[in-house]
Amino acid sequence: MNSEKVLFSFFMILALTLNFGFFIGEMDNAAHHNVYELFAVIIVNLIATILKFGDRSRLGPMLLATSLVALVQLISAALVWTFAVHIQETGLTPETVVLIVSLSGGAVLANIISVILLMIETTMLRR
Amino acid sequence: MNNEEPEKQETSEEIINPVVSMIMSRMRVPLILLIVIYAISIIGLISIPGVDDQGNPWRMSIFHAFYYVSFTATTIGFGEIPYALNDGQRLWVICTMYMTVVAWLYAIGNILGLVQDPVFKKARNEYRFKKQVNKIHEQFYLVCGLGETGYEVVKALTNEHYRVVVIEEDPDSLLESNIYDLQEFVPCLIADASIPRNLQLAGISRSNCNGVIGATASDETNLKLALSSKLLHPEGKVVCRSDLLSYEENMRSFNTDYVVNPYNTFADIFSMLLHSPSLHLIFDWLTGATDSQITDEPLNLNYGRWILCSYGRFGHALYQKFLEHDVEATILDSDEAAHSRFKQNNIDQQEDIILATGIDERSLRKAGVEDAVGIIAGGADDSNNLSTIMTARQLNPEIFVVARQNLRDNSELFERVKADLVMQPREITARMIRVLFLNPMLCDFLKIATKQDDTWSNIVISRLSAVIGESKPHIWTTEITHKQAPAVYKAIALGRRGTLDCLTIDPLSRDHRLECIPLLLVRNGDNLLMPDDETEIKHGDRILFCGMREAMNSMNWTLNVMTSLNYVMNYENEPESYLLKALMRRRFKGRDRRERSR
Repeated sequence: MNSEKVLFSFFMILALTLNFGFFIGEMDNAAHHNVYELFAVIIVNLIATILKFGDRSRLGPMLLATSLVALVQLISAALVWTFAVHIQETGLTPETVVLIVSLSGGAVLANIISVILLMIETTMLRR
Repeated sequence: MNNEEPEKQETSEEIINPVVSMIMSRMRVPLILLIVIYAISIIGLISIPGVDDQGNPWRMSIFHAFYYVSFTATTIGFGEIPYALNDGQRLWVICTMYMTVVAWLYAIGNILGLVQDPVFKKARNEYRFKKQVNKIHEQFYLVCGLGETGYEVVKALTNEHYRVVVIEEDPDSLLESNIYDLQEFVPCLIADASIPRNLQLAGISRSNCNGVIGATASDETNLKLALSSKLLHPEGKVVCRSDLLSYEENMRSFNTDYVVNPYNTFADIFSMLLHSPSLHLIFDWLTGATDSQITDEPLNLNYGRWILCSYGRFGHALYQKFLEHDVEATILDSDEAAHSRFKQNNIDQQEDIILATGIDERSLRKAGVEDAVGIIAGGADDSNNLSTIMTARQLNPEIFVVARQNLRDNSELFERVKADLVMQPREITARMIRVLFLNPMLCDFLKIATKQDDTWSNIVISRLSAVIGESKPHIWTTEITHKQAPAVYKAIALGRRGTLDCLTIDPLSRDHRLECIPLLLVRNGDNLLMPDDETEIKHGDRILFCGMREAMNSMNWTLNVMTSLNYVMNYENEPESYLLKALMRRRFKGRDRRERSR
């Protein structure tokens, strides 16, 4: 068992599960989407992205690209949140929550692709 | 299937910039550490309860915590923002500060370590070099070895605005030669030229690599280099320097285009001198470096007996020339092996060699220095050579002195001793390579010129000096092809009779002559030495000119532009635009028919 491989898969799957956890719930209900969960999703995604740096496997560039996409989506969601609460001080209106959640939904998709690619690579290695 | 995979892996590696991927894989751990520490610090700050300025309970938001950690971690420290912290928060901030500073130091140290890493430096240099080579889209030459020879060659090529790529093993010689002062930018790779991979990096197999020059100090490297370039890029020209006969023969065995042996080359030059001092002067004029000094007096040489000190590769090559020209020579060598080698090679001339060093007065007297016309100090040791010259001069002040200078650093000493002719192996090699690459026709010219007599040489000298005066002549080759001389080519195709005269008339003023003379005209393998003005030009002719650089520029107008050529040939201008051509076609058609029937 390769401990590096475990860590790698662990962070990728954790990124997906946390992201999904944040995403699930009513689209416009702020109570269903926790800010600390978003924070955790971003941190885990950051770590997952950096783990993919310099990965020279054949799917490496694809994996890195999906992670970067997820990161862009999540950071924009966080920025929207910051804007709403701290800068414009409008608070979390249902429209803002919908925007944040839909952005994180895109990140979920990117993370799913990332995990699928991981699975493909693993099965290819087996053979 | 299994066979295919590793190959694909390799190509994908080639595409990714090795420098970037090296940084990325090295920075993984420090970056993750940094993120984790930031996350922990933020979580700590948001979870510790505090109070705002009115004393109400207050917790930091993620945004404020991130702001706080950011300015603390980077040691900027704006203070306790937005509200003053309580002691619990302060305790946590202490931990935060130490953790983040350590994480940053670790990350920065890692980057600095990577930049210093020799492997990383090599990868970065190679990548940069590869990119520079790939940017060259015109024809270029690959020079291996940037010693004295290599540098001379690079300088000559860049002066003619050819692009050059250099591979040199020793970083010090790169520093010593002012490669950044040249006319063109020259990409350099510090690597071993005998390794094919490095040659590939330097673009040897690219279609615009015109030729490879092996000018490294080692024959072994030059041999390997010639071999690999013949295999990797068979169309390219290969010129190699070689000191030893065995390597020279080996290089010739697989069609190396030219092998330059400095000793034999100098022997050929010396042979010219024995044949006719004027011919030697012509050679010196035509092949000298652009910045070399020009003398217009041929060397003064009397017929008589010569003394040759040391019988090595150099001595042997020279002695053959003495035999050829039927000149008497006495050899001095203190080495027994050289002695017996000479006696084996030259059974009829057993008396010509004396077993003595040639540096002391006694042995020079024994060789009869008083009544000799010339002495050649041709040893491999510079101090011995200098000593020979000084002793010989004392005994016979009139003697003609040829000195072999082995080390560049001794130039000043050899200048002081005022030898009539100084032979520097590296300079000779550079001279030959320069001629071979820039003006291969000049070699043919010199070959034919060697067969002419002294009177011929004197006439050529007077003609040359009438044209160029005191300045260094420029040599160029013109080929009457559609590509190189479109106007002349077209005129001949129209049936007009062009003579050499047309090319040497100034296209700005018909009454003036350009300051140049044709040296050689090659047509279908036939050589015409010093063709006169009335010689007719035909398609495919190659003409070697010698003259001022400005003359070449003016001649390019005649060669390329129809209006200039018309002016020179005294023709009326033809219309160049499509409309005028269509309108005037009838008139010009008639004229050309008339010309042809004439």
